[in-house]
Amino acid sequence: MSTAESTTALLDVRGIGISFGGLKAVQDFSIALPPRGLYGLIGPNGAGKTTAFNLLTGVYTTQTGMTTLAGKRIETLKPHQIAAAGIARTFQNIRLFGELSVLDNVKLACHLRGKHTLLGTLLRSPRFVAQEEAMRLQAMELLSIFGLERVADESARNLPYGDQRRLEICRALATQPKVLLLDEPAAGMNPTEKVELAESIRAIRDRFGLAILLIEHDMGLVMKICERITVLDHGQTICSGTPSQVQNDPKVIEAYLGVEETAEGVVGGAV
Amino acid sequence: MGIRIRVADFVQTLIAAIAVGSLYALVALGYTLVYGVLKFINFAHSDIFVLGTWTSLTAAVVITNKMGIEPEHAPWWVAMCVFLLAIAMCATFGYCIERFAYRPLRGAPRLNVLITAIGVSLLLQNVGQLPGKTVAESGGSPAATIPFGAIPRNMPALIEDRVLNETSVAEGTMAGGSKRGTVKLDQNLTIEAERQYRIEYVKPPAADAPAGAQSSIETLNVVVAEPGTIAAGEEISTQPRRNAKDVEGTKYRVLRSPLVPIRLIDVLIVTGSIGLMIGLQILVFKTKLGRAMRAVSHSVETASLMGINTNAVISFTFVLGSALAAAAAFLYPLKYPLVNQTAHGIWVLLGLKAFVAAVVGGIGNVRGAVLGGFLIALIEFFGSRYVSTELRDVYVFGLLILVLLLRPSGLLGSTAREKV
Amino acid sequence: MKTLAQHQQDVPGKVATRWDVMLLPWVACIVVALVVHFASPVLVNEYWQNVLRRVGVFVIAAVSLNIVNGYAGQFSMGHAGFMAVGAYVAGATTYYGSLLLHGSVNDPNFYYQGIGLMLGGIGLGCVVAAIAGYLVGLPSLRLRGDYLAIVTLGFGEIIRVMLELTKGQLDNAAAVKDAGAKLLIHLNGPSGFFGIPSYANLFWIFLFVSVTCLIAYRIKYSSTGRALLSIREDEIAARSMGVDLTKYKVRAFVLAAALGGVAGGLYSHIGANPSPTDAGFQRSFDVILLVVLGGLGSISGSVLAAIVLILLPEVLREAQQYRLIIFALLLIIMMIVRPKGLFGVKEIWELDWFTGWFSGKRRERKAGAK
Repeated sequence: MSTAESTTALLDVRGIGISFGGLKAVQDFSIALPPRGLYGLIGPNGAGKTTAFNLLTGVYTTQTGMTTLAGKRIETLKPHQIAAAGIARTFQNIRLFGELSVLDNVKLACHLRGKHTLLGTLLRSPRFVAQEEAMRLQAMELLSIFGLERVADESARNLPYGDQRRLEICRALATQPKVLLLDEPAAGMNPTEKVELAESIRAIRDRFGLAILLIEHDMGLVMKICERITVLDHGQTICSGTPSQVQNDPKVIEAYLGVEETAEGVVGGAV
Repeated sequence: MGIRIRVADFVQTLIAAIAVGSLYALVALGYTLVYGVLKFINFAHSDIFVLGTWTSLTAAVVITNKMGIEPEHAPWWVAMCVFLLAIAMCATFGYCIERFAYRPLRGAPRLNVLITAIGVSLLLQNVGQLPGKTVAESGGSPAATIPFGAIPRNMPALIEDRVLNETSVAEGTMAGGSKRGTVKLDQNLTIEAERQYRIEYVKPPAADAPAGAQSSIETLNVVVAEPGTIAAGEEISTQPRRNAKDVEGTKYRVLRSPLVPIRLIDVLIVTGSIGLMIGLQILVFKTKLGRAMRAVSHSVETASLMGINTNAVISFTFVLGSALAAAAAFLYPLKYPLVNQTAHGIWVLLGLKAFVAAVVGGIGNVRGAVLGGFLIALIEFFGSRYVSTELRDVYVFGLLILVLLLRPSGLLGSTAREKV
Repeated sequence: MKTLAQHQQDVPGKVATRWDVMLLPWVACIVVALVVHFASPVLVNEYWQNVLRRVGVFVIAAVSLNIVNGYAGQFSMGHAGFMAVGAYVAGATTYYGSLLLHGSVNDPNFYYQGIGLMLGGIGLGCVVAAIAGYLVGLPSLRLRGDYLAIVTLGFGEIIRVMLELTKGQLDNAAAVKDAGAKLLIHLNGPSGFFGIPSYANLFWIFLFVSVTCLIAYRIKYSSTGRALLSIREDEIAARSMGVDLTKYKVRAFVLAAALGGVAGGLYSHIGANPSPTDAGFQRSFDVILLVVLGGLGSISGSVLAAIVLILLPEVLREAQQYRLIIFALLLIIMMIVRPKGLFGVKEIWELDWFTGWFSGKRRERKAGAK
């Protein structure tokens, strides 16, 4: 173990894992995400990608290993504490607050960085009013970056699909995270939208100075924008490296295309 | 108090707890089965139980009235009929509630289903309480009224309770006492300390009774101050105080009460419930239908993809749970004859106890519900016997809080994870 | 990109410090109470004034329950339990307090001190109910939603059973002095606590009504309210956005219990003798009904539902015995056809059909404000 690596990594994950009953959903998962890194996490369906995210965000508690964010241990914290520590995420199956307005969805996420007292709320104290106003300003600023300021007063459930995905990212950014976890942000998008998305993910990273970890099924997108890629299969990390290393790893090809049992070698070409 | 009495008292409490515990378990099974397949608390389940008690009561009253017999002398098949009617009624209601109130909400947020369940529960409670026909309206004769739910009533003793393990210590022909309320036996009788004795004798029909009247078996309790031997021909006081002439010349038996009386009703309740529980175990774990139920419990979607008719399985689960509640509801008033009106708080508490039993055992777990049922009853009965009777309903609630704090998934339950 | 703190510094003091926003609504509460107090004797007779007091109590009960059942989506079924706690604490404070300080209850010479006792009793009831709420809420709110329903249902029933076990009421100052702390068990058992003077006139009732509504409103439209609504919408997403679920749920629950205690405290001072059945399931259901039918999360919905559903049985006397049947059916049908209740989470002035009526005027005002 090199100390150099642990100091440079913003999010340092070492050997976390969880099993449900007999099923080892994720095992010995490690990743070292540097500041401003844009890493990818891929794998076939059911490989444990989302479970890995759930472990990182505290939805599930890891049974092994440790996670540090900017030098602070976070693996035993609760989800809201992890969010406060600086990890934000989006969800594979969009989880917006449907009844709330678009603006309120984002304002809710700003909540994390504010101070809330019951007395202040009831009296509408100057600090409370200023904070609400600040939340509105920040939320509007974020919404305008994603072109959502026109629909700020709409209920989130009424937005078209693509806008909902954007709003999820926007909401995650409002928590002022250090690390952003994106769970299949391109799911259900057409190729043009995907290209735009790839651009905006990079833009987000540059503009907000974040590290991003991305789960994605679209290989083209991942290979294009990620600096390093980790491949999961059956809960195990089978390969980790640059896009070209991953692309040529026989184990990855095997995981994606399977091995024909009678044949000796690997069947199939590029991923 | 002698050690023998203390032990006997303990065992008696234990027996009562086991009898009531098996009823709690039957009701708890209904909560757990429905929770297993649909993951929500069927608030109306306790009302199904109440429906069962009232159906039993009404059926028993109506059938015995129509046949013109005393409930105590009803043949065994009347009880069977009442039992089956209660089951049929509850099963029908269980099916209808699922079909018309819960099924339209399949896939709706959990809160809505919960509110609907509360609505159904209240509907049953209050419809049951609607005043029925009064005696005057229905034409005078009390036999013509159909009792249901509005005012508390006593369940007719379809199955007469008796102590099974009494021992006969003397037999013979009685001589009347010299004054009212005393009798003479024609045999010596040894009275032991801390025991009760009663005289059972056959009372012939009165002289002015209509033809066909039967002789009946009557009981007199022996009233004695001191243990010792009562010689043959000595006068002893009895309760109730019968006219000495009435009992003269009748055959009698003197029965000594056991230290731990085992009652027919308790035996019936325990064997009946345990039989049903074993049947349920076999159904759930050994049959194809049971496998389908477990599959639906695991995941409704996957089960339906596997070709299981999930709606039918869910309906069946409701019917099954309701039938178990009905069985408990038939047995319960045999032990506690007073049946309160349908919206009475006592039913809410009873339902709560059964629910707590399900939670303590691990909700969704069939064996857990049985375990929980017995556990709850043990705590309730021993708590009220040895700590405080008045707080008997509070213990259960305390236990619920404790379980929620320490082991929310229950004793046998496993934690289910929400999919993200 | 600026952080929230930086944004906050940029907000000018003139925008932040608004004395009118802070204070005017509280003044308005007093005005509303005074208006109702002086206007209603002119408009309606004493019977309807009493009905109005009942309506007020149930408005408070419904609006407070809405905070936990509506905003946070956590289904409490023991609100009557908290109301009963408040009712008995406040009622006993006034009754035994009067005996202790004055030697008799309901003496006109003791009127203003009596009012003081009532307010103190309501405050005490509010605190005790809040503590009860904390003790019940903390273990159950950590778990899945339906547990809360059953635990609170049990709580109400247990309060009912415990109240039924209490001993007879004391009726003279000497006995009260002797009893000391044992007064707690002299709450008159199943027949309910009698003889509490009805100090809560329309002014006090509607002062508390409007204050409760203001509190509920200010919570709903604040970061706390958004946090609660987000929990109701999606717990997992709320957690991931940094909302401390347990903290906010417990907060909502305690607040609802406290205000429920206030409703109960007033209830015992409007000439209604609090009895153990007031803690039971049936009474909780009465309040749940108002919240669900009015709209889970809608303050104005709860208020409207309370007014309509309390007045309706008064108007339709013959239908009394069918009241609960009809309401239960309404509840089931509402869940199937309009699952969010009449107004949903919205307030009446946020609904399209309502604003449609006032469209011209309202839009102008909105534009003017901005």
